[in-house]
Amino acid sequence: MQTTFSAVARERLRQFGPALILIAVFAALATAAPGLLRWRAINGLLMDNAPLLLIIVGLTLPVLLGCLDLSVAAVASFSAVCGAILSHSLGSWAGPVVVAGAAVAGGVQGWLIGRLQIPSFVMTLGALGIFAGLALFISKANMVGIRPGLAFFDVLSARTGGMPNAFLIVLAIAAVLSAVLRFTPFGRDVYAFGQSELASYISGVRRDLVRTVAFAISSACAALGGMMMLSQTLFANATVANGLLLPALVGVVVGGTAISGGIGGVAASLIGGLIAVLIRVGATISGLPPASQDVAFGIVILIAVALTTDRSKMGIVK
Amino acid sequence: MTGALSLEGVAKRFGDVVALDDVDMVLHEGEVLGLIGQNGSGKSTLMKIMAGLHQPDAGRLRLGGRVVQLRSPLEAARAGIGLVHQEQSLIGSLTVAENLFLDKPVTFTRAGVYRWAEMKDQARRQLDKIELDIDPATPVGDLSFAQRQMVELAKVLALEELVGGHLVILFDEPTAVLNPPEIQALFAQIRRIKHRASVVFVSHRMDEILDISDRVYVMSDGRNVAERRKDEVKVDELYELMVGRQRAGAVARRPRAVYANPRPRLEVRGLTVPGAVRGVDLGLAPGEILGLIGVHGSGAEQVLRTVFGLTDRWSGEILFEGKPLQARTPAAAVRQGIGYLPAERKTEGMVRNTSVSENMALTFGRQHGVAPGLLSRARERGIVADWVRKLAIRTPSIDHRIDKLSGGNQQKAVLSKWLIGKSLKLLLLDHPTRGLDPGARADLFAVIRELADEGLSIVLVGDTPDEVLTLSDTIVVMKDGSVSARINDVQHNPPTEEDLVRAMV
Repeated sequence: MQTTFSAVARERLRQFGPALILIAVFAALATAAPGLLRWRAINGLLMDNAPLLLIIVGLTLPVLLGCLDLSVAAVASFSAVCGAILSHSLGSWAGPVVVAGAAVAGGVQGWLIGRLQIPSFVMTLGALGIFAGLALFISKANMVGIRPGLAFFDVLSARTGGMPNAFLIVLAIAAVLSAVLRFTPFGRDVYAFGQSELASYISGVRRDLVRTVAFAISSACAALGGMMMLSQTLFANATVANGLLLPALVGVVVGGTAISGGIGGVAASLIGGLIAVLIRVGATISGLPPASQDVAFGIVILIAVALTTDRSKMGIVK
Repeated sequence: MTGALSLEGVAKRFGDVVALDDVDMVLHEGEVLGLIGQNGSGKSTLMKIMAGLHQPDAGRLRLGGRVVQLRSPLEAARAGIGLVHQEQSLIGSLTVAENLFLDKPVTFTRAGVYRWAEMKDQARRQLDKIELDIDPATPVGDLSFAQRQMVELAKVLALEELVGGHLVILFDEPTAVLNPPEIQALFAQIRRIKHRASVVFVSHRMDEILDISDRVYVMSDGRNVAERRKDEVKVDELYELMVGRQRAGAVARRPRAVYANPRPRLEVRGLTVPGAVRGVDLGLAPGEILGLIGVHGSGAEQVLRTVFGLTDRWSGEILFEGKPLQARTPAAAVRQGIGYLPAERKTEGMVRNTSVSENMALTFGRQHGVAPGLLSRARERGIVADWVRKLAIRTPSIDHRIDKLSGGNQQKAVLSKWLIGKSLKLLLLDHPTRGLDPGARADLFAVIRELADEGLSIVLVGDTPDEVLTLSDTIVVMKDGSVSARINDVQHNPPTEEDLVRAMV
C-alpha cells in the first residue's frame, strides 16, 4: 500500500509540478522586487508576452506529435508585415485573412512532411528561411506602418475589465485547444500518434490529416501572435518576432510537454511559458550583467525542465 | 566425449514461459550440426545462449572441455563463437570493410587515425577466405541479401585471427531470404570452412538440413527430443519427430457452420506484391476462418498487410463485399470494416506508455461518442470494462499502462481495440499467438472462434500447423510467395500436420 501511495503522490507532483514552480518563481520574484506585485506591472507583462504565449500554445500541437515547428517565429514576423501591408487595402479584414493564410501555409508544411517524408525539423527549418526571406522581400527591409483606427487591431491592443484582450484571447484559445485535445477523436489521435506513430497508423489514425491540422493550428496561432505584436507597436518589420523561437520552445518544454511527443498539453505549455517569462524578468531585475543573465536563464531552465518532465514515460531521451 | 562446444542441462525461462528445459547438446570439431523444431520449440533461444545474447538459468556450456560463461556477444566472439544473424546485423551506410571489423579491436590505425588502404587490404583477405568477389569499399546497403549474408559469414570468420583457433559458427535460418542457387553457394562455403570451424545450422527446410548437416537434433517444447545421424534418417521421420508430440494433445475442433450467405466477403485475385507475393487467389465467406501458413518469407504476412492497406506497390484485384477495395491506408481499410492484429505487438500493435482503455478506444471509441466528433469517456470506459471482463484481461485497472501487462493480456487488449467497434466485418490476424504461453493461447483461440460464429470473417496467419488446423475452416499453404496447397472443409476432413509441413517447405 505504501508504494502505491507514494506512486500516486509522485504522479500528483508531476501533474502539478509546473504550476507549483510557477507559484514559487513568482513568489521569489515578488519578494526580491515587490514592485512586480503591482497590477500594472503584471498587466504590462501579460500584454507584452501574449504573442509569445500564443505561439507557445500553438507550438504545443506539433510537439505533442513528436514533431518540431521551427517556423513559428518567422511566420509571426511575416504575418505582421503582411498584416501591416494588407491593412491599407483590406482594413480590419487584413487580420483574419493573414491568420487564415498562415493556417493554410502551416497545413501545407504538415502535409508535405508526410508526403515527402522530410523530418519536421528540416521541413520547418526550410519554411523558416522562406518566410524570413519573404518578409524581408515584401517589406523591402523597412518598417511598415499599419493603417490606424482599424477595429481588429484596436480590439487586440485594448483591455477588458483591466485585463489585456490579447492575454484573454490566449486564455480562450488555450481553453478551446485543451478541450479539443481532451474531448475529440482528433485529440486522442494526437496523443496516440505522439506515443507511437506506427501503432496508431495501424489502428486507423489518419496520420497525414492529423499532422496537417496540427501544423495549421501552430502556424495560425503564430500569425495571430504576429497580429498582436502589430497591434501594440503599429509598425512591423521583417524580424519583429524572430527572437521568439527559442523562448517558445523553452516554454513548451518547461511546461512538461515531451519533445519526443505524446506527453503534455496546452495548459501545461501555457504555464511553462509563464515560467520562462518570469525567469527572464527575474534575470533582468537581478541586476546581473546581460551576459550573466543568459547564463542564469539557461541554468534555471535546465533545472525547471528536469523537475517538470515525466521521464518514466519516455523510452529514450535524445 | 567432449566436443568443440557442449551444453549440459541448459534451461531458460522467460517469465512463466519455459523456453528451454534441460537441454544437452554436443558439437564436434569440424562438424555441421542441424537444429530443427517448430516455432517456439526453443531453437532460437538455444542459439542466443550459445552466442552470448541470453544467459541460461541453469546448466553449463563447455568450450573445448572448459566451462565458459558467455555474458555478452563480445565475450562469445572472444571465445570464438559467432552468430550469422537471421535479421541482418550489418550497418547499411558503412562499407563492407568497416562492417567486417566493427566488432573487433582495430589493427589498422596510425596514431589513432584510420588507414583506409590497410583496412581494405585486411578486408580483402577476409573476403578471399570465402571467395567473395566484392569491393571492400562498397556500402553494405548496395549489396543483395545473398551478398550480405556472405559478408556476415566473412565477419564471423574474421574472428579466426582474433582467437587464433577453431571457431564455432551459428547460422540462424540463413536460407530464409535466399533463392536456391544462393543457398547452394552458401552451402559450398560452409563445406569449405568445415576444417576451420564447427557449424550449427537452423532451418525450417528439411531437405536443406539433410543436405548440409552431418547430424541433426530435433527440438520440441524446449527439449532436445531426438538426435539422428544424417545417414540413418529420412525427411519423413524428421517431420514426425518435429510435429509428433503436439498432435497427441489435439484440441477439440469446432463444428463447421453452414453459411447461409455464399457471397464471399473477401475475394483476392492474382495478388502480386513485388518480391513477396506472386499471383495469390483467396476467397472468404462471412463467419469463415481462413488459415494461412508458410515458413518465413512465404509471403503470407504480406497478403494480410496488403489487404489492410500497408503495402505501397501491388497488383491484382481485392474485392471486399463484391466491390474493389480502395484501401490505400489502414484508415481507409478501417472505415470499410477491416481490422488487423499485427505480429509486431510492441511496435505496431500497442501504443506504449498509454492506458489499456485509451488503447482499446483508439480506433472505435469515437463510435460511442455523445455526438459525431465528441468523445464520451464515460461510455467508452463502460464498454472497455465489459470487454476486459469478457476476454478475462488481467489488469489492475483499465487505466493501467498497457506495456506493463503480460504478453497475453497485451494481445487481448490490442485485439479488443477492433472488437469494441460496431462495424467490423473482417479481422486479419498476423501470428496472433506469437510469444503467448499455452493458457493465453487457448483463451485467444476461444475468442477467435466465438467471433467467427457471430459472423466475423477471419484470416489468420498461423505460427504452427497445429494452430491453423485447430481454428480454420479453410487452409491455404504458401511457399515462396505462391499458394502451394489449399485445403477446404478442414474441420471435417483434416489434413495431417505432415501434409501441411510438406507443402510449406
